[in-house]
Parts: sequence; C-alpha cells; structure tokens
Amino acid sequence: MISASIRRRLVLLVLASIVLIWGIAWISSYRQAEREVGEWEQARLAELAQILALLDQRNLTTLANARIDVREEEKGGEPGANDGDDDDALPRDALFQVRSANGDVLAGSPQLRALHAWDLPMPPASGSRDMTLGGQIWHTFTLRDTALGQTVRVFEPANTRSDLVSGVASRIARPTLLALPVLALLVWLSIGWSLAPLKTLSGEIRVRGINRLEAVDIGRAPTEVRPLVDAINLVLSRLRHSIERERAFTADAAHELKTPLAAIKVQAQVALAEPDAALRQLAIERVVQGVDRGARLSEQLLLLARLDTHERTSTARLNLAEVARDALLANQRNAEQKTIHMRLTGDPRSEINAEPVLTGIMLDNLLDNAIKYGREYGTIEVGMQHANGRVQLIVRDDGPGVAPDDLAHLTNRFFRATGTQASGSGLGLSIVARIAEHFDANLQVGTGIGGRGLAVELSFPACVEAGRAVPGASVRRAL
Amino acid sequence: MRVLFVEDDDLIGCGVEAGLRQAGFTVDWARDGHEAGLALTTTTYALVVLDLGLPRVSGMDLLKRLRDAGKDVPVLVLTARGTVLDRVGGLEAGADDYLGKPFDLTELIARCRALLRRAQGRSVEPIRYQDLTVNPAAQTVDVGDTRVSLTSREWAVLMQLLTHQGIPQSRSSLEESLYGWQQEIESNTIEVHVSNLRKKLGARLIRTVRNIGYVVEKA
Repeated sequence: MISASIRRRLVLLVLASIVLIWGIAWISSYRQAEREVGEWEQARLAELAQILALLDQRNLTTLANARIDVREEEKGGEPGANDGDDDDALPRDALFQVRSANGDVLAGSPQLRALHAWDLPMPPASGSRDMTLGGQIWHTFTLRDTALGQTVRVFEPANTRSDLVSGVASRIARPTLLALPVLALLVWLSIGWSLAPLKTLSGEIRVRGINRLEAVDIGRAPTEVRPLVDAINLVLSRLRHSIERERAFTADAAHELKTPLAAIKVQAQVALAEPDAALRQLAIERVVQGVDRGARLSEQLLLLARLDTHERTSTARLNLAEVARDALLANQRNAEQKTIHMRLTGDPRSEINAEPVLTGIMLDNLLDNAIKYGREYGTIEVGMQHANGRVQLIVRDDGPGVAPDDLAHLTNRFFRATGTQASGSGLGLSIVARIAEHFDANLQVGTGIGGRGLAVELSFPACVEAGRAVPGASVRRAL
Repeated sequence: MRVLFVEDDDLIGCGVEAGLRQAGFTVDWARDGHEAGLALTTTTYALVVLDLGLPRVSGMDLLKRLRDAGKDVPVLVLTARGTVLDRVGGLEAGADDYLGKPFDLTELIARCRALLRRAQGRSVEPIRYQDLTVNPAAQTVDVGDTRVSLTSREWAVLMQLLTHQGIPQSRSSLEESLYGWQQEIESNTIEVHVSNLRKKLGARLIRTVRNIGYVVEKA
C-alpha cells in the first residue's frame, strides 16, 4: 500500500487538472480547425464550379479528360522541406459534369461513369452536398447558372483523415506534451519547498524527550503550519507541567518516606544500646509504630498513583448513609480513645453515583483527620443534605481548626498545618480531593461545629430519580 | 552537657532524645521553632541539634536568628532534604555540621561529640588533667591506672568543670547543665555531687570559690 503523501497527491492533482484543461482546449481547437478546413474546402469547390461554368464546350471536354488534382499543397519542392503534416498521402482528383438547361450532358469526367454517377439527377438548387459513390464519401457542389441555363456539379473525394487538421492538432499538442514532464518537475519541487516547514517541525519534535520539552520554535512558520505548532506547544507545555508535578511528587514522597525510616532506625539503635529492659521494650514498640507509619504512607502513595493513572472509575448508585455508617464504625475505636462522640445526621436515603471502595476511603480519611486533629471529649458530625440539585456530605469537628492562611493549602500533597502535633503524612485530604474529582464532586473547607474546628464539605451531583421524597427533608439520627 | 534538640516528629524525636541521654547528654526537646527560640534565649546550651522542617518557625530561620543574635553555640542540622544545595545553604546559614535523614544514631552522637570537642578547643576525645583521664565517649574516668565509677550526675558536674577549666562555675550554671526541663531540681545536690567527686577523685581537684561556686584550675 502506498502511504498517503500530500506532495504526491498535490502533484497528481495539479498535473491531472492541467492535462484536463489542456485536453479540453486541444479538443475544442481541433474541432474549430476541422470546421474551418471543411468550410475552406467547400469554398474552394464552389470556386472551381464557377470557373467551370465560364468554360466553353471544347475546354470542358479537354479538362474532363485531364485530371484536376485538388491536393492542398503544390506538388514538388524540396522533399522534407515540408515534411507533410498536412500533405495528402495520395493524389486527389476532382470530377465534374456540366449539363445544359434541358439536362443533356455537355461534358463530364469519364470516371463518373465507373462510379455510376453519370446519370445522377441534378439537385434543383445550387449548394453543397455529401454523397456516397463507390463506397467513398464525396463532397459535391452544384452551381445552376441561370443566365446560361447550365448546371455544373463538382465532385471531390472527402479527405477521410483530414491531414491538415491533424497537422494543426499535433502542432498544438506536441509542445504541451513536452512541457508536461517539466511542469511536473517544477510542481514537485515547489510543493516540496512549500512543505519544508513541516519537515523542520517534525525534526524539531523528534528531538523532544522527557528532558527536552521546551516549546517548538521553527522561525516564521506559514499560516497553515502555525496552528499545528501552537497545538504542539500547548501539548508540550501541559506535558512539561505534568512531568514537573510528577517529579515534585516523587521528591516529596521520597522525602516523606525518609521520616518514618529515620524514626525506625533511631528507635532500633536506641533499643540496641538500651540497658534498661522496660525502655528497650518501649523503643522496640516504637520501631513497630514507625513501620506502621511507613506502611500507611506507602499505601497512600500507591493509592494516589493509582488514582492518577485511572482517569475514570466505574460508578454505580450508592447509598451514602450506608458508606458513612461503615466508616463511622471503622473509626469508632480511635474516636473512643480520645473520647470523641461521632454522629450521623441528615437524609439516610441520600444517594450518589460513585464507587463504594473509593467512597469508603474518602470518608475514612475525613474521619481519621477529624479524630486526629479534633479535641478530646469533642464531637464529630457527618451530615448529608440536598441543596441545589446536589448531595452534600459534610464532616465537621469542633477541634482547634486550621488557621485561615492554611485553609487553601489543606488539599496540597504533604501539606501539614503548622503547629500540628498528631502524626500524619499530609496526604489524607489530597487523597480525598483526588477521589472527589473522580466522582465530579466539589470539595470545600470551612469552619466546623459552633464556629470552631474544621468542616470539609463534598458536594456530589445528585442521582436523577423519579418520585423522590421532598429534597432537604432531613431525618436526624444519632449513631 | 546540656543539648537542645529541635524536632517535630514524635517518633524520631523520642528516639534521638533517648539516644542522646544514653550518651550522657542532658537533653531538652523542643517540638517547634518557636519553642526552640524561647529555650535558646533562656538557657545556655553546649550544643543544638536542629531539624530544618519545623512548624511555626523553620529551622533555617531559627538558625539565622541565632547567629544574628551573636550566639556561637555549635549547631548540628538534621534534615530529610539532603541535596548538596540544601547542605551548602544550611552550612552557610551558620550550621556547623549536617546530617541527612535517615541517619545513624551512633554517627549523630559522634558528630555531636566532635562539635563539642572543637568548641572546647580539643582535638582528641580523652581529657587529661594531672593524673586524671576522662573519656567522654566511653564515659569512663581513670585516676592513674584505677577506673573510678561515677553516677551520671557526678559525671555531668565533672564534665562541666573540666571543660571550663579556670572559669568558676556557679551553682545555677552547674544545675542548668544537670537538669532537663522535665526534671525537678533537688536542693543541695551540687554540694553533694562535688563532695562525692572529691572523695572519689581527690580533694584537691575541685576548688570552692566563695560566694560563686566551684572551679577546676587550669592545668
């Protein structure tokens, strides 16, 4: 299969158009020439008839027995000087018959008898006419001389292949046919030259790699190539940003993983050097804690990486309250350690389009954060409500909250608010934000219960449903 | 030797704190830059071990503030950001040494000792004074060829006096080097420790400076 080439296609199209136009011009010129030659031959025959009409009986008889060569060129001259574009190949003799007013033949070419045309009746009026005699087409011209009462008819064999016309035609066609390859070459070269910016562009793009993603610059690009260059540069800049983000994330991840590793190493070394059994035991327990922390961090990193690679997750209709209840149960023990009361409020039939495992992870992270950063003897509230055709899930606590300056950075990866004592990787909320994105939910942070603490609000698009209860009707329930 | 240790991570913090205690240092552990800044204005430390990634006031800011205030206490910087640029930046901001996480606890302690040695104008670890040989790394004291056993408090008082030879040490500065933040200071203890040291190492080693405190004369 021949690969598609703009250059080849353009050359073929241009040449085909030229050949077509030339062909039409050539054919119409040919027709024109043919018609003109025909008219000219007819006029010549009429002249010949007029001359014959002037001749007397004696001269007519002499002429009838002689030959009248009506070839279009004079015989003789240098052979090859006129190498016969329009020479007739064979002698062409004109024949004639002259009749008196009462129809007697005054004189006639004897060849007419052989052609059975001697006794042909004369047409009633002057004029030209074609007829077939002896299997050949003849042009005839009849002249009625009313003054003398004579009728002259001239016969000329039709020039079956008009040598004159074909000569003219070939003389027109030859230079154009010779010009065609030259034209093809010129078209090929000029199209190639016009397409050069594309070649330059592809060369520029070929040298681009992960470490070379700067914008393509090919100087003054033609108008047709400019949008392509712009589009490529846009893609390159997006790619550059995403790679920069990836690299920053990898660096941050490596940095974050070093912290639990450092803790594990230090605690292990303390345990090795500690003579006191109880203190040694404590250090070893802390080694275990450090390993747990590292494991949790790497789990979170893997989750984020997975969320980044899968653009979309398959979703199904999900009862939000059920997922929330499961998450509350799972975090119950941690909450009890800080004597935190957790409750679930709002419409227990709230449904969203989401995926249950990811929604669970999202709620887990929110509750984990609320417990970690909430106050002892505090309250955590998970609320669900309908507003403006969306389902809102709000997790609020009444802890110390977050400084206004820090609110905007809460969902940044590895961000930890200043002054936080609890251990954490700073990934929790960024995981929540990333999952929310998957389900087209918006994440907002604000002030928690009673003007204190933190509220994280997720607003999901509501499931389209018929016969739903009045939106906003809320059923309070405590867990 | 009283050391200020600044670290926000609990798990690393309690490990390093325990390690430094094992090595015979008195440790104050500050969990953020602000707390560390307060500690540095109120207490004289022999050494600061500083983590750079701190909440509230960053380690680098703290270091710059410390140097701007004209304090030349040796500072060892700990950080997870261990690129050459980070290290150069830290050292130029006034750090004396640099250790990247995860680090080796024994290396951290050895580097702390080296910094203290340099600050005290020594090049070898054992301190020799008359017939006394004190090895801070091994925490041993020999009088002649005889190994003498000391309690950690006696050890701390002896080290404070030996590293400040010829400079009388007040009771309060001796107490400061002895007790961390969480420890209750007992009255009369300095006198008790000094009298024990005199019993173990000879009565002429430590001289009482009336109304000031104690001194070990320059060798």
